[in-house]
Amino acid sequence: MRANLNEIADPRNLDGAVEEVFRTMLGTDCRRDGDALADEREWVTAVVGFGGLLSGACVLRCGGRTACVLAERMMGAPFAEIDGTVKDAAGEICNMLAGSWKGKSPELAARCGLSVPAVITGCDYRLHVQAPEFRLQHVYVFDGTRFEVTILCDGLK
Amino acid sequence: MREVHTLIVDDSSVMRKIVERSLRQAGIEEMVVHEAGNGIEALELLRAGKMDLILSDINMPAMDGLELLRQIKTQNLAPGVPVVMITTESSEEHVREAIASGARGYIRKPFTPEQVKERVLPLIEAA
Repeated sequence: MRANLNEIADPRNLDGAVEEVFRTMLGTDCRRDGDALADEREWVTAVVGFGGLLSGACVLRCGGRTACVLAERMMGAPFAEIDGTVKDAAGEICNMLAGSWKGKSPELAARCGLSVPAVITGCDYRLHVQAPEFRLQHVYVFDGTRFEVTILCDGLK
Repeated sequence: MREVHTLIVDDSSVMRKIVERSLRQAGIEEMVVHEAGNGIEALELLRAGKMDLILSDINMPAMDGLELLRQIKTQNLAPGVPVVMITTESSEEHVREAIASGARGYIRKPFTPEQVKERVLPLIEAA
């Protein structure tokens, strides 16, 4: 598996997964953006863990407004605040991003499992992973709003 | 088309709604939807009444979709009722395990309404 590290950590896999999920489930194009996310009053962070051949996590992070737009795109109805449905939508998108990303490597598709999503909301928090094997962190833009997706790998068998 | 009692099993209420919308877009308008958040809730609904179609996620808390399939088979809760798995787990191994446990179809998330139509409509028409 380690011999395929470059292939697994190829940034194009993450871009492809994001584009696929957004085009298929949200009916919108999504493209990579160079700038970091601006500060927000409230953040929504969805985390799906990887286990098995690769251990780590897929993390979707965005501001509250973007989370509401994501939910609106999925449900077809507007959301004014971060309620249970908005958190659920963020968790499901993260789940599909994690599944789509690992599906781009046949070995990971077969021998890497996913956890159920966990969603964190609030402000002034950071996700810390001790010395990851690799980290992919990209910002994307859709419908004029921006979000960040991170793939953290803290162990490869 | 007759009324189709459909059980949608997913821990995400958002995904349950998307699956329902996709089924209606596929032309299954006469449908009564029953929702369960995990395998245990699904088994209770199956004991309470007959379904015509079951769509289930795999990764769920309390009881996952593969265990739900095994329980349906062991307890003979839905004889002849097609079960389709809708999941992010996409490997051949997962597909084989689901089919061996009784699933009649497999849809990978993310999915389009057309994919739901292709895989589900023939099962309903054949039932």
